[in-house]
Amino acid sequence: MRTALTLLQVDTPLTARPATDRMDDVALAAAGDVRAFERLYRAHLPRVHGLVRRMTAGRDADELTQDVFVRLWQKLSSFRGESAFSTWLHRLAANVVIERFRTDTTRRQRHVDGEGIFESLPGARSSGDLAMDLETALEKLPDGAREIFVLHDVEGYKHQEIADLLEISAGTSKAQLHRARMILRRHLRPASA
Amino acid sequence: MSHPHDHVTEQLSEYLDGELPVSARESVDAHLSGCAECRRLIEDLGSIVAAATTLPDTLPDRDLWAGVAQRIGATRATVTPFTPPVRRRFSFSVLQLAAAGILLMLMSGGLVYLARPHDDRGASGVTRAEPSAAAGDALTVSVANAQYDGAVADLERRLKAGRGELDPETVRVLEQNLGAIDTAIEQCRRALEADPANAYLTNHLVSARQRKIALLRRATALTTGS
Ligand SMILES: [Zn+2]
Repeated sequence: MRTALTLLQVDTPLTARPATDRMDDVALAAAGDVRAFERLYRAHLPRVHGLVRRMTAGRDADELTQDVFVRLWQKLSSFRGESAFSTWLHRLAANVVIERFRTDTTRRQRHVDGEGIFESLPGARSSGDLAMDLETALEKLPDGAREIFVLHDVEGYKHQEIADLLEISAGTSKAQLHRARMILRRHLRPASA
Repeated sequence: MSHPHDHVTEQLSEYLDGELPVSARESVDAHLSGCAECRRLIEDLGSIVAAATTLPDTLPDRDLWAGVAQRIGATRATVTPFTPPVRRRFSFSVLQLAAAGILLMLMSGGLVYLARPHDDRGASGVTRAEPSAAAGDALTVSVANAQYDGAVADLERRLKAGRGELDPETVRVLEQNLGAIDTAIEQCRRALEADPANAYLTNHLVSARQRKIALLRRATALTTGS
C-alpha cells in the first residue's frame, strides 16, 4: 500500500527552485516537526537530487539523496543562519557524496581508471541539444574530474571552496576542472578534438 | 613573446574563468589572435560552461520520503497513509494501481526533469535542436491535442460518476496530483507559446499529458473495480 501511495505522489509541477527558504519550516523542523521537515524535503529535493545524481553519475543517487536528508535531520539544529539555508544544505549534500567516494574502494579505483574507460567509448550520437548531450557525457567522466566540474560549473562553487571540501589544493581543483572540460569537449565535439 | 600552443591550451580554462593574472592573459590574447585552433577550443569550452549552468534539477523516479521518514524515526502517522477503498469489490485495486504505476514510470522515462525558466536557456547560447525537427514535434503535439482532450474528458466524466465510491483520502491525494500535473501542463503550454520550437518543452508537455492520462486511468479503475 505504501508503494501505491508513493506512485501517486511522484508528480510535481514544473517549477523553478524555491526562491526563498522557508525559515519557519527550518525552525520547526529543527525543533522536531516532521511535517515541516517533509515540506523542506519536498522543496529542496529536486536541487539536492540533481546535485547528487550528477556528482555520482547516477549510481546510488537515490540512496545517497536519502542519506543527505537523514543527515539534514540530524544536523538541522546546528544551522545558524550564517548562510542561506539552501547553500548550507547543498554543501551538506556535497559532503555526503564526497564521504561516500572516500570510503568506496570501487569508486576509488575508478578515479584512477576512469579516463581510460572513457576514452575507449565511442562518441555518443548527438541529440542536437548540448545540455542534454552534456548530461550523458558527464556520466562518463572519471569521478574526480566530474565532482569538480559539477561543483564548479554546474553548482557555481569557487576553487577555494572545492579545495576545502575535497581537501585538495586550489591548483589541483583548477587543473582537474580543465581536464574535465577537455574530456567533455572530446566527447561532445569528437571531430574537432 | 608568443607562448607555445600547448602551454596556452593548458591555460584556457583559467583564461575563460577570468582567473589569469594580467600578464598571462595578455600572452594568451596574443596567441589567440594568431591561432585558429585555440580560438575554436575556447569557443567550445565556453559553450560547455554555458550549457552546464542550464542543466535542470531532477527528481528521483520513485518517492524517497517514506524511506527518509522511516530512518529518522518518524512515527507512522506522519507518513500520510494510503487508504484503499474498504469494500470487497475493490480488492484488486492496489495491484491495479501498482501495475499502472509501473507503466506510468516507464512512460515518464524514469527521471522527471524540472525546467528552469526558459529565458535561462535562451541567454546562454546553448545549441538548440534543429528547428525543422522541433517543428515536427510541435506538429505531432497539436495533432494529438484533439485525441488527448477527448481521452481526458472521457476519463474525467467516468471519474466524476464514480467519485462517491472513493475514499476521501484517496480523492484528496488524487486531486493534489492532478492539480500538480495540470500546473505543469499549463506552465509548459505557456512556455511553448513563447518558444514553439523548443523540443525539450514539447517532450515535457507530452510526458506530463501522459502522466495525467495514466493517473486518471488508475483513478477510474478504482471507481469501477474493473
Ligand atoms: Zn594555439
